[in-house]
Amino acid sequence: MKRLLASALLLAIVPQLTSVSAQPQKKDEVAKLSLKVGDTAPDFTLLSDEWKTVKLSDFHGKKNVFLAVYVLAFTGG
Amino acid sequence: MDSPAANAAFAKQIGVKFPLLSDMNKKMLTSYGILKAYEQKGDTYQWALRANIVIDKDGIIRHIEGGDSAVDPNTAVSVCTDLHKKQSAP
Repeated sequence: MKRLLASALLLAIVPQLTSVSAQPQKKDEVAKLSLKVGDTAPDFTLLSDEWKTVKLSDFHGKKNVFLAVYVLAFTGG
Repeated sequence: MDSPAANAAFAKQIGVKFPLLSDMNKKMLTSYGILKAYEQKGDTYQWALRANIVIDKDGIIRHIEGGDSAVDPNTAVSVCTDLHKKQSAP
């Protein structure tokens, strides 16, 4: 009986989850990952954790750059 | 989009030897197409994709990936290693 109840609850939740996860895809996105290999990387200016400005152009002709974009520091995601 | 202060605390916590950068005005995220958004009931919600990008010394993109696959940095690391080997070759 407990197993039957658990199955019923799961089915009740699934349609709701599906509609929530599908929702962002219906909305207009601000930007797409439009850059591709071989493109010139747009220059940028960012702030370091020591509050210093870091420009991509600072590395031009000197170093390769590896950018790892992550969100929400501390989450480990 | 994390602040420099949040990044400074995170850098100290994990002991990294490279700078953690903040895009507070979201210009870089927008120009690279990493910023995503959707509207709900008149409000716009924005978030950044996970992404790994390798740019060579000439400013050319040699590797770019976004989304779930970018959680694993190994592909980008190997591109970086190959690039370095080619540039070091006589």
